[in-house]
Amino acid sequence: MPIYQDNQELIQRMRWFRIIFVLAFIGLFAKLWSLTIVDFQFYKDLAERNRVRTISELAPRGLIYDRDGRVLVDNIYGFNLVLFRDVIQDSNETLDFLADDLKFDRDTLQERLEDSSSYGSDRTIVLKENLTMKETSYLLARQLEHPELGISKNPRRLYRYGSLAAHVTGYIGEVSKKQLEQDEFKDNEAGDIVGQFGIERSYDKVLEGDNGSRRFMVNSRGRVLQNLDYVEPGRGEELTLTIDLDLQVEAESQLGDKTGAVIAFDPNTGEILVMASRPTFDPNQFVQHITQQEWEQLLANHDAPLQNQTIQGIFAPGSTFKIIMGLAGLEKGIIDAKTSVDCVGSVDLYGNRFHCWKSDGHGHVTLREAIQHSCNVYFYSLGQKLSLEEITSFARRLGLGNAMGIELGGEVLGLIPSEEWKRKTWGEPWYVGETISLAIGQGPLLVTPAQMARAVGIIATGNVPQLHLVKGEAPKATEKTLLPTPDFSAENLEVIRDAMWSAVNEGGTGQAAQIVDFEVAGKTGTAQTISLATREKLSDKDAEPFQPNAWFVGFAPRKDPEIVVAVIVQRGGSGDSGAAPIAREILRVYYEKHKKSKPDSMELVFQIKRKQRS
Amino acid sequence: MLIQRFLNQFDYLLFLAVTGLIMVGIVEIYHISAGAGDFSLFMRHLIWVGMGVLLCLLIIFVDYRHWIDHAFLLYILTAGLLLCVLLFGREINGSKSWFTIGAISFQPSEISKVTFILVLARYLSGISGRYLRLRHLSIIGLLTLCPMVLITLQGDLGTALIYLPVVLCIVMVAGLKKQFLIGIPVLMLLMSPLSWFFLEDYQKERILVTIDPGRDPQGIGYQSRQSQIAIGSGGLLGKGLGQGLQSQLGFVPEIRTDFIFSILAEETGLAGSIVVLMLYLLVLVRFIRIAESAGDRVGIFLIVGIASLFFFHVAVNVSMTMGIVPPIGIPLPWLSYGGSFTITNFVALGMAFSVHQRRFACSSFFRSNQHLPRPHLPAPLHNYYNN
Repeated sequence: MPIYQDNQELIQRMRWFRIIFVLAFIGLFAKLWSLTIVDFQFYKDLAERNRVRTISELAPRGLIYDRDGRVLVDNIYGFNLVLFRDVIQDSNETLDFLADDLKFDRDTLQERLEDSSSYGSDRTIVLKENLTMKETSYLLARQLEHPELGISKNPRRLYRYGSLAAHVTGYIGEVSKKQLEQDEFKDNEAGDIVGQFGIERSYDKVLEGDNGSRRFMVNSRGRVLQNLDYVEPGRGEELTLTIDLDLQVEAESQLGDKTGAVIAFDPNTGEILVMASRPTFDPNQFVQHITQQEWEQLLANHDAPLQNQTIQGIFAPGSTFKIIMGLAGLEKGIIDAKTSVDCVGSVDLYGNRFHCWKSDGHGHVTLREAIQHSCNVYFYSLGQKLSLEEITSFARRLGLGNAMGIELGGEVLGLIPSEEWKRKTWGEPWYVGETISLAIGQGPLLVTPAQMARAVGIIATGNVPQLHLVKGEAPKATEKTLLPTPDFSAENLEVIRDAMWSAVNEGGTGQAAQIVDFEVAGKTGTAQTISLATREKLSDKDAEPFQPNAWFVGFAPRKDPEIVVAVIVQRGGSGDSGAAPIAREILRVYYEKHKKSKPDSMELVFQIKRKQRS
Repeated sequence: MLIQRFLNQFDYLLFLAVTGLIMVGIVEIYHISAGAGDFSLFMRHLIWVGMGVLLCLLIIFVDYRHWIDHAFLLYILTAGLLLCVLLFGREINGSKSWFTIGAISFQPSEISKVTFILVLARYLSGISGRYLRLRHLSIIGLLTLCPMVLITLQGDLGTALIYLPVVLCIVMVAGLKKQFLIGIPVLMLLMSPLSWFFLEDYQKERILVTIDPGRDPQGIGYQSRQSQIAIGSGGLLGKGLGQGLQSQLGFVPEIRTDFIFSILAEETGLAGSIVVLMLYLLVLVRFIRIAESAGDRVGIFLIVGIASLFFFHVAVNVSMTMGIVPPIGIPLPWLSYGGSFTITNFVALGMAFSVHQRRFACSSFFRSNQHLPRPHLPAPLHNYYNN
C-alpha cells in the first residue's frame, strides 16, 4: 500500500486554528467591552451596593399639638429587629433561630418577610418592633453568627390619648403598592411609613422627616469592616392644631359610647375647637403593622368607625332647619317679627294633615316663640308661602351642600333637593307637600354636622368663617369651597339670634343648654328617621333602631359670639334631652376656662410693658 | 557554541509572552495575599512557579521524542495514578482528585492532560493514510474516555470536559472525512443531553443559571454574577492593584484560582485584561507557528494538542468569569494559583519549546549521533527511530 503523507497537509488543516483563536478572542474582547465600558455604571453601582450596607434610620415625624401646645401625637423610640436581605443565606434557618431562641412567632415573621418582597434589595425589613432589652442584647451577642440580623433604633408614633380626636389626627401606616403608583407618593418607596388618614395624611409631607442613614463597609459575609458615614435623620415639622384638648376631652366623654358627632369652632377665626366622631378607633392600632384581620374588622364594622361623622356623616337637620326657614321668611319679607300663626296641634294642607310635636298646639305664636318652642305649624305655614327653590337657595347661601375645605379631605357634600333631582332619582315630580316637610327639616335634605355648625356661625356673626384645623393662616377658599358672605339684614339676623337665645334661656326647647352667666343661644332638633305613620305601627322595641336623631346647634355668648357648637347624637331621642346637655357641658368647660384666663388689669399692664420693651 | 546554537533557535516571542503572563500572575497573587494578610499563598505560588520554570528548562533540553517513545507507559502510569487517587485520594472542594504528602497536594488529573496528548500524538503519527478510519477513531475514543471517566468519577467534571475539545482539534488536524467532521461534533452535541442524567444536581443548577440568570440571583448564579460585577466595575482602567474591593472582600469566589481573571479585570480594567488576553493570543499564535515548522508529524500533533489545551483553558476560564459559561472549575494558565496545574503548564510549555528547538530535525544538535530523515518526507513512524 503506497503511503503518502505530507506534513504540509496537516499544516493546511491547521490554518483554521489561527482564525478560530482570533475570532474567539474577539468574542471575549467584545464581552469585556460590554461589561467594562457599556454597562460600567450599572456594575459600578452594584459593586458599591455590594460592599456598602446602608441602614436607614427612620426620621421621627413631626409632633402634633393642640392649640395650647399640649402634645397630642408623640413619638417614642423603640428597638426594631431588622433583616438585611442581601446577606441572607437561608431565610428558614434565620426564622428558625428567631422562633427557637427568642420565641418569636414564626408565622408572623414569615408573613412579614413575604409582605416585604417588593422592597428594594438594599432596604432592610423590619421583622419585629419593640424588642425588649433582653432580646436586643441576645441578638447583638449573636451578631457574628447571624450577620443578616440587625437592630435599629426607630421612632414610633404614639397617639397619647388613644382614640381622642382620632378622626382629626388620623393614623399612619406603610405605604401601599397602590399608593406608590399615585403621584402623591412618588417620592416614597416600598416600606415607608406615611400618613393614611386625617391630618397625618393631609399634612404627610410636612410631618414627614428626612430619613437618616448609617453606611458601613461590609465583606461578603455581611461583617462590618468599617463605618463609612452617618446622616442624622431630620425630624418632620411640628404642627399645632386648633383643637382645644380640654373641650375635646369633654366632648368625647360626653359622647361616650353613643353614635354621633360634635363640632365646635370659633366663628370669628374659623378655628375648629372640637371635632369628635363616634364610633371611633384607636390610631395606635395602626402604628404597629396592623394585621389583615384587624383591618378587615375595622372595615366590616357596621357603624364605620373610620368615618368622620362631622364631615362625612349626612343627616336630616330636623328642627334646627327652622332657624334657616325663619331667616328665609324674614329676608323674603313674607313674615316679620310680629307675624303670628295659630297652632292648634296640626294643620291640614294640600289634603294632608301635618302635625305639631305638641298635639294640643302652641296657640298664637310669633317667629320668636315658634323657634323658642320649635312649633311646627308656624313653619308649615311658612313653607306654604315659600317655594322649594327659595328654601334651597337660602340653604345654599348658608353653606349647606357646599364643601368647606377643612384640611382633612373626604368631605361629603350632603343633599339639597331640587325638582330636577326628584325627577331624576325618583321619576316623580316634587310634591308641594314635601316642601311643607322640608320646612321643618325633614325630607330629603341632608347635611353634615359641620355644615350645620357653619350655618349657625354665619347667623351668629353675619360672616362666613373658613373652618380649619391647623393653627396659623386659614386655608384660602378655593373655587369649590368659596361661599360668598350673604348680605342678610342685621335686623333679621338679630331676630333669629334672639329667638335662639330665648329657646335656651326662656324655657324653650333648648333650656338644657342653659349656663348661668354665659348667654347661650341655640336650637334643638329631633330628626325623625322614619315617618310618624310608620313609627305608630312599630312596637317600642322594634322602633329602637329608628329612634330620632338628636340635634343641638348653638353659639355663645349671644353678643360677640366666641364659640359655635353642633351636636348630633344618632338615635339620641329628642334634641332637648339627647343633644343639648352635651353642648352645655362643652360650652361650660369653654366658659370656665376662658372666664378664669381673662387677664386682669395688672396682667394687662405687664403685657403692655412687655410689648414696649420688644 | 552549544549555547549559542540554542539561543539562535530560541522562540523569544513565546518566551516574552509567557514571562509577561507569569509576572502578571505573581503580581496578582501578591495582591490577593496582601488583601487576605496571608503571604504564605504568595510564597507557595513563587515556589511552584520556580519549580515549573526549572522543569520547563529541563524539558527543553530533552528531545520530545523521548517522551513520545514512552507515551503509552506514561499514559498507563497516569491512568494508574488517577485510579489510585479515586481509591486513596483526598477530597478537596468536592472533588476527590488530590494526593496529599505532607503539606503538598498533588492532582494527577492535571498531568494526565499532558500524557494524554503525548499518547494521542504517538498513536496518530503511526497512522498512515490521509484520513482517519472508524477503527482509529474508536481507539482514540477509548484513549480519551479512560481518563475522562476516571476524572469525572473524581467529581472534577470541568477538567474531564476539557479533553473533548482537545481531542477534537487533534483528530481534525490528523484528517477527518467529511462525514466524521460533521458527525463527531453532532454526536457530541447529541450525547450532551444524555450526560444530563449523570450530572450532579448542583452542576445542573449551574448550567440552568447560566441560561437564565434570573433563576436564582442569590444562590448558584451568585458566583457568576459577582464575578461579572467585579469585571464590569473595573471600567476602562480598573480600580488599581489591591483596590479591587468587590473581589478582595470575598464577594467573588475563588479569586486565587478559577476567578483570578475577575480580580485582574477589576483592578486593571479593560486595558489590563486586553493586554493579558493579547499575551495569551500571542502564545497561541506562536504555538501554531511552532506546529507549522515542527520537524515531524509527532511534533505537530503534540503542539496542536498543547495549543488547543491552552486555548480552551483560557477561553473557557475567561468566559466563565464573564458569565458566558457556567463556573465549571477551569483555571487560567500561569495566572491561577495551583501546584499541579502550574507544573503541568510548564511541562507543556517545555515540550512546545522542545519541538521548536528541534524544528530542523537534520541539524538537531541533540540527536546528532543519529541520521534522521529530512522533514516533510513521508516515512513510517519507526523510521524516525533507528533503535
